Amino acid sequence: MPAAARADEVFAALSDPTRRAVLELIGERGEASASQLARELPVSRQAVQKHLSSLAAAGLVADRRQGREVRYRLTPAPMSEAMSWMATVGGQWDARLAALRRHLSQARS
Amino acid sequence: MTDGASSELTVPASAEETWDALTDPGRLAEWLADGAELDLRPSGELAVRVDGEQRGGFFEEVDPPRRLVFWWGPEGDEPTRVEIELEPDEEGTRVRVVESRPLRVLDARGIEVESWLGGDSSPQMRAPELSAIC
Repeated sequence: MPAAARADEVFAALSDPTRRAVLELIGERGEASASQLARELPVSRQAVQKHLSSLAAAGLVADRRQGREVRYRLTPAPMSEAMSWMATVGGQWDARLAALRRHLSQARS
Repeated sequence: MTDGASSELTVPASAEETWDALTDPGRLAEWLADGAELDLRPSGELAVRVDGEQRGGFFEEVDPPRRLVFWWGPEGDEPTRVEIELEPDEEGTRVRVVESRPLRVLDARGIEVESWLGGDSSPQMRAPELSAIC
């Protein structure tokens, strides 16, 4: 795969808050299946599976079949400075917007 | 290619209420920033303390209750551009944020970017200068 296309996929993969949450959970657990991830995220197993596929296509996660389930782990591929900036700053805004939503929910009740 | 960090979420409030929560210093203190000082108009300056870090900058675009664009950064550091868009949807308001580093382009070309946050140039000069660059 050409390097440019690869960078594109990584940026696209990291631009989505759910995919960042998936990456974070896999990082915390070391390894996880789509069903395990879906139990902890507000999305369906099918949606998690789709996100895992794009993360795998971008080379950010690798899969391994264990019995009847497929387990995912982070690949050690180093992210470029731009990618890690994007993941960090995107994650900061995920947290800030979650705080804004809490604030507005409280203001309403 | 997406060159900014983005995040989006629907909040259970009208666009007007959401705008207030984003721009009123008293309300900002409840979810984002301490001691916000905001001169809410194009070229108006902003100073906030976010995540334990003092940041300065200025507004590029102020269009209540739809669109807010500002530049910010820690003093002496490369400033970044933040675009926030509010759009009413069925459950409230969709909030979209994109933070980007337009000045990286200059950096990559070897042009030195001096920090004008807290510098001598007047804020009125900054927005036109920047829109010429970006």
